[in-house]
Amino acid sequence: MSHHHHDHTHEHAHEEVEGSWRDAQDDRPLSVARRRFLAGLGAAGVATTMGALPAHAHGDRPATPVNPWHGRGRWFAGDHHIHTKYSNDAQYEVAQQVAKAREHGLDWVVITDHGGVAHEKFSIDQVAPDIERARKSHRDVLVYQGLEWNIPGAEHATVFLPPGRSTVDILRAFEAAYDGGVLSTPVANGGKGLLTRSTSADGEPYALAALRFLEAQVLSGRTEIALMFANHPARRGVDSPHEFRGWRDAAPGVAVGMEGAPGHQAAGIPTSAGGRGAARGLYDASPNQDSFPGFAPTATENPYRTYGGFDWMTAKVGGLWDSLLAEGRPWWVTATSDSHRVHLDTHKQGTGDHNTTGSRGAPIDTGVPQVESDYWPGFYSSTLVGADSKSYVDVMRGMQGGKVVAVHGRIVDGLNLRVRSLGEGDNRGVTIGGRTFVRRGHDVEVVIEVDLARGANFAGVVPRLAKVDLIAGPITGPVADRDAFSAPGTSVVKSFEVARTARGTVKFTHTFRRVEGAFYLRLRGSDGNRLTSDGNPVMDVIGDADPWSDLWFYANPVFVDVI
Amino acid sequence: MPWLGAVPALPGEHGAAHVDAVLLEALDGVAADFVCTHVDRLGPVAVTTLSAHVTGEVDVARLAEALGGPVVVLDDSGAPDSPAARAATAGRDRADGRCVRFPGQSALTGTHPAAEVVAVSAIDRVVGIGVAVAPADRVETLGFLRPVCRGGELLLLVEPAVGGVLRPAEAESPHECCGGH
Ligand SMILES: [Zn+2]
Ligand SMILES: [Zn+2]
Repeated sequence: MSHHHHDHTHEHAHEEVEGSWRDAQDDRPLSVARRRFLAGLGAAGVATTMGALPAHAHGDRPATPVNPWHGRGRWFAGDHHIHTKYSNDAQYEVAQQVAKAREHGLDWVVITDHGGVAHEKFSIDQVAPDIERARKSHRDVLVYQGLEWNIPGAEHATVFLPPGRSTVDILRAFEAAYDGGVLSTPVANGGKGLLTRSTSADGEPYALAALRFLEAQVLSGRTEIALMFANHPARRGVDSPHEFRGWRDAAPGVAVGMEGAPGHQAAGIPTSAGGRGAARGLYDASPNQDSFPGFAPTATENPYRTYGGFDWMTAKVGGLWDSLLAEGRPWWVTATSDSHRVHLDTHKQGTGDHNTTGSRGAPIDTGVPQVESDYWPGFYSSTLVGADSKSYVDVMRGMQGGKVVAVHGRIVDGLNLRVRSLGEGDNRGVTIGGRTFVRRGHDVEVVIEVDLARGANFAGVVPRLAKVDLIAGPITGPVADRDAFSAPGTSVVKSFEVARTARGTVKFTHTFRRVEGAFYLRLRGSDGNRLTSDGNPVMDVIGDADPWSDLWFYANPVFVDVI
Repeated sequence: MPWLGAVPALPGEHGAAHVDAVLLEALDGVAADFVCTHVDRLGPVAVTTLSAHVTGEVDVARLAEALGGPVVVLDDSGAPDSPAARAATAGRDRADGRCVRFPGQSALTGTHPAAEVVAVSAIDRVVGIGVAVAPADRVETLGFLRPVCRGGELLLLVEPAVGGVLRPAEAESPHECCGGH
């Protein structure tokens, strides 16, 4: 939300939390470092902390490369934003969503029903065993238990943990203490009545406390890892720039990114084509009282719309995402389905009273295709994660480390990026999400290998990648204004055209000559169908956005330090 | 004729159009040709405020009761700074805010050339988001116009819409996010 100049002196953020690391039983008198060691975090924990530092903080010391290049790695496709009948506005069984995700090629999914009073009271105890059963019946899909958290003072976010003895307890304690819905609901209605609104500025200290709580669960060894991704960040303009910075700083191992592309990608299909004729991503809002005032529609842009299906914060070159990256601040983007009710599926919501039972009950099969906004998990949106193995913790470590590519409509099958010093420095180099270094004045080579789609997407078409943009900008260090949301030095430095006849893997190389200062680079690609004159994505038109004819991928950045 | 500002008591997390209806109902019986909402961000939590240009008599006490909050009338004596006074000033100067009622609004409920929007109403300019607007370009109002005050002007922000028309950037019923809470 928008407010940014009052002192957060409230004590409320420190109330005792049931099942937290503050519990008497778990109050081991250990230093954070010792806890980190005991939790087996050692090097991984250090890497995370290093990644959070701005590049110039390394001074003259040679940095340790982060995400070193190891040749071709494996990508695991997944979706961290999926609803079930345990959300008031959704309908499917957990088993249905997991089966559909598997059918559409996903390796991992996160079940994220909306936080709130009814969810906290009634849904958690029902969804946990459903998830257990889904894991047993679909052993080749990782099914994480998560939550779509109402971030106090802001938008929604995915929060999730790997399976573990304390997973459900941690999620329950987190939601009860820190969900914006629970905190803003009046006591008479079962909430805490502590916030004016879920998105009002008085919630901001709770959001920071919430993320520190999760980080503390990791440091104390109650869970190996916990992650948070901000969902549909620009939709209502209520995630201000300083909030992203605050979340990341409060818990750098937990708050690691945001949806580069929101779900609901079918919503913009025209009514003339049998669609809902709404806004792509359901991004049709205008500023409200809790919106950041800098996010305003103008003659040149509307932050409240999607651009080529991606959120404005990600899609705008030199925009909010770049302003974070230009600080040297790791912050990753993803793509999800936000699947609630699937376009042309025949089910409608069950008749259960979510308020009093925490569930809509089993969905009802009408036998008639329904006009809706969403796709099945994996049908259109994929988050590709580079991980050492297909295990719960490794996939999360891949996401934490930014080895992530956000993909729509199978526009690519994979991406192998290597960024390295050609002179003195890190000659092996690093890959997506990494950090490498080069001697001042020496050259940096970027080698991009793109795996083109080897088959049809779920629209039945083999998509054709038309171009890959290499985007880069200087790392200018921490901003003085925490609400800054532009990176004027960032631009598309090169566009690689993909030959019409190209098949399999295409390779592009670019060399940054005589590098004088720290910088970062990232990649995006497009089917080339809808571009502005300067090659950027076009603002999606409400009621006229066929998602299959406007496909993009966004890869996460590599940071290059200069020594 | 004076400008007044107010800090209304508003229902919880409701859409803007719903809030507008509540405010206009409270203003029923007050002759006002120009009504805007503003956001006051100087307190710990943002507050929606109201400004109105009154063209007749107004019973301030009755209006304050109807709005459920303080009402300030801007006159030459200069009201002390308050959220209500800031709203009145912002409305008078057309510095910021979104306009709920304005002269000519009732004539613009269908699809109109951009030139007509400007000619028949208080709207100073029709501003296309990412597109230039020609006088003959059609603006499909869908019966809901909320132009914005910026830098002394009243602007109608429009964007390309299905069917080759322009539509106001603010819609009457945007998607209610994820079921509310
Ligand atoms: Zn959401
Ligand atoms: Zn959602």
